[in-house]
Amino acid sequence: MNNIQVKKRTFTLSSLVTASLTVLALTSTVVNAKITAITNATVHTVASQGILEQATVIIDEGVITQVYENENTPENIAADEVIDAKGRILTPGFIGTMNSLGLVEVGAVSRTRDGRDEKADITFDASLAFNPKSTLIPYTRKGGITSNISAPVGGEGLFAGQTFAVDLSGDFSSIIEKQNAVIIYLGSESKGSRAQKLQALDYKFADAKKALAKQKNQTAKEKKEAKEPSRDELVVNALLAGEKPLLAYADRATDLLALLTLKKKYGIDLVLVGASDAVLVAKEIAAADVPVILSSIDNLPSSFDSLHVSLANMGILAKAGVKIILAPKGESHNINQLRFDAGIAVANGLPKADAIASLTANVADVFKLNSGRIEVGKNADLVLWSGDPLELSTKVDFMWINGKPVSTQSRQDALRDRYTEKGNMPKAYYQ
Amino acid sequence: MKKIPFKLSLALTAVSLTLAACSPNEKQDDKVTINKNPFPSTYKVLPQQNTLFTNATVLNGIGERMDNADVLIIDGRIKQVGVDLTATNVEVIDAQGKWITPGIIDVHSHLGVYPSPSVESHSDGNEMTSPNTSEVWAEHSVWPQDPGFEAAREGGITTLQILPGSANLFGGRGVTLRNVPGHTMQAMKFADAPYGLKMACGENPKRVYGSRKQMPSTRMGNVAGYRAAWAEATEYKRAWAKYNSDYDAGKNPEAPKRNLELDTLMGVLDGEILVHNHCYKAEEMAVMVDIAKEFNYDSGTFHHAVEAYKIADELAANGNCVAMWPDWWGFKMEAYDMVDENVAIVDAVKNSCAIVHSDSETTIQRLNQEAGKVLYRAIDNGFNLKEEDAIKWITANAAKSLGINDKTGSLEVGKNADVVLWNTNPFSVYARAEQVFVDGAKVYDRFDEKYQAKSDFLLGQE
Repeated sequence: MNNIQVKKRTFTLSSLVTASLTVLALTSTVVNAKITAITNATVHTVASQGILEQATVIIDEGVITQVYENENTPENIAADEVIDAKGRILTPGFIGTMNSLGLVEVGAVSRTRDGRDEKADITFDASLAFNPKSTLIPYTRKGGITSNISAPVGGEGLFAGQTFAVDLSGDFSSIIEKQNAVIIYLGSESKGSRAQKLQALDYKFADAKKALAKQKNQTAKEKKEAKEPSRDELVVNALLAGEKPLLAYADRATDLLALLTLKKKYGIDLVLVGASDAVLVAKEIAAADVPVILSSIDNLPSSFDSLHVSLANMGILAKAGVKIILAPKGESHNINQLRFDAGIAVANGLPKADAIASLTANVADVFKLNSGRIEVGKNADLVLWSGDPLELSTKVDFMWINGKPVSTQSRQDALRDRYTEKGNMPKAYYQ
Repeated sequence: MKKIPFKLSLALTAVSLTLAACSPNEKQDDKVTINKNPFPSTYKVLPQQNTLFTNATVLNGIGERMDNADVLIIDGRIKQVGVDLTATNVEVIDAQGKWITPGIIDVHSHLGVYPSPSVESHSDGNEMTSPNTSEVWAEHSVWPQDPGFEAAREGGITTLQILPGSANLFGGRGVTLRNVPGHTMQAMKFADAPYGLKMACGENPKRVYGSRKQMPSTRMGNVAGYRAAWAEATEYKRAWAKYNSDYDAGKNPEAPKRNLELDTLMGVLDGEILVHNHCYKAEEMAVMVDIAKEFNYDSGTFHHAVEAYKIADELAANGNCVAMWPDWWGFKMEAYDMVDENVAIVDAVKNSCAIVHSDSETTIQRLNQEAGKVLYRAIDNGFNLKEEDAIKWITANAAKSLGINDKTGSLEVGKNADVVLWNTNPFSVYARAEQVFVDGAKVYDRFDEKYQAKSDFLLGQE
């Protein structure tokens, strides 16, 4: 397969076409190139520049250092390598959200599951269990996904732990940020009332706020003698200070409104997840500037909390001005299909630009990632597509994570190749 | 697979009891027969219209694509497919730029038996009380008000098989339905479609029963369970054969004691009930094929079959259909070795019968796109496949698996007019069914509320 030649050269624009490389299949060999130029691309910046035709993007040290519109592209570009996109679409790498990527290898094999623990509560840091060598990660890259917000599912406590951000390089240094948001599950209960947790959450914030106020008025002596706040309390305080988002799973409109009330009362950085009934209160959610993380394909009323789900919901919310993030429910092995889910949302009324933002810039905004847009200073997490990124017939032609080319070859490809190989020996000999 | 006739004419009156065995000269008691169709279909075709679709891209379901083609439906049947057709007294639908396919068929669905909302009160798909529940019939659990039927119809599904779940070695009978709104199961039932028997390999039965410290708790326990049941069914079949031949010889024999579980298994041995076997792994499918040979029945269709690509040649040679997801994997160990090209590898073998199924209330709404994922990933990796090939996986091959390919599954002349009109290439992510026809009757129209059915459950909800 093709290793990219690394030669420090200055390309003139006229020579770019001939300098183009075949980029269909890459090994995961690390390339030492420092400066990469992607030329002649249709760039979906997902930023103020919108879509640029015949644009050039320069990557240096893992970061996007230039985005040239066609007419502004300089005659000479200093680059170690040049990729001629030949007009193909370049997008920011897509970002998965609220799944167990790297925490679960085989769903029904308990010793490969690290997303859940009885004792997991508000401080639970599942990133300690993240496995960058999981076979799910290369398979996920096939969907043009370059980073992910992995989420534990908690335990018996009120909170379900904290999410963390990773890149999909497969390297041991994949973790971008630990403990970057707190998760809570609300809504209908098989045993008990939905009211209990809502009330407990309210009290939790009220008590913490009171304690903070009291602390403020303490004398120096009192402060010295005061007990150190617990780790749990520190996280609640961080939520009250808006330092990290509260990701609240809830579906019925009454629950969503109750959460909006808590946001108003305590100033928390609220994000709604699931939010089946969100269309009923879209105006209120938009007015409160609360993002919604939701699925585009769960259109059946799976419970009495979700009687208003529809394939059109993403489009309706976007139109109402709600910041939306697309994330399938509880899925991690097949999150490479995010882009198809986005396509289905487009087929049902969501503008394509909003669909792509729901997989890129919107996620970056909510989780404060330095990616999700193609603009100067952002991480060079980029995908070059063979066609429309949301279309079934399209594939990833080339992708970069932190400016490094990465492969989309996975264990699945190795199995396919073994069993389509012709020969006389047992398959076990073909590798 | 060989075509298996299902003669309703055999279905006679209810069982009458004979009390004494008698000598040949005695007067014979009434002959005891088994009513094979006690819950007959009451399906009535919706108001039909004779229709001419013009200038469409037509995929006929059996490997052909025709551009700028017309499709003529008369009296609920495919009358003609060709170029520049004319007809009088028909509704003409301009299908310029649109695509037409046969109605989509899902061989593996739990709609109605695991409906939405998924409340405990409606969780009726798995009789998890014994490893062999061949006596239960999924049709007796179907809740026709499941909103999933409507959603599936909006995705072009015109026929679907409802199966029991996979907890048991023998889960019970499946039933094939027309996807028309009805407020009884019988009103949806596909008349003359054979019953299915759900069997299950692997992890599910051994987990469910093993955790209760009863057999099976291992895969070898599973196999012992299948064989013991088939051995018993073989005896049962022999007993009935003897009863029938003695009776026909003028004797007055005592009829075998009726056993509902064995009735179903005997139906398989007689070739009247088709096996649908939940089975993921190559080595287990190979064993199931041998069990069927041992007891002389057809091993039928393997469902899920994540590892079918490892034994694609053997499955085709044995005449099995194989129903697969495009890409589900990793939720349990037996689903770990998935490849995106599984369906394509199975399909590439001569005499194969590859099917894309859903087993999902969500993806049943987009079986076309599920097939599309296979098609395009396979093309990416060098398979020579086209849209006209991929459509077979969700139409003609599915009909063959269900034993209804003489009635539906393609746009061949004389077949039931089960037709979907798509806004674009059905394998595009942007594809949506615009109009759906069952037996020539319009059952869905995306742009006409008159043809948008709604479940009782969703009516009046605010």
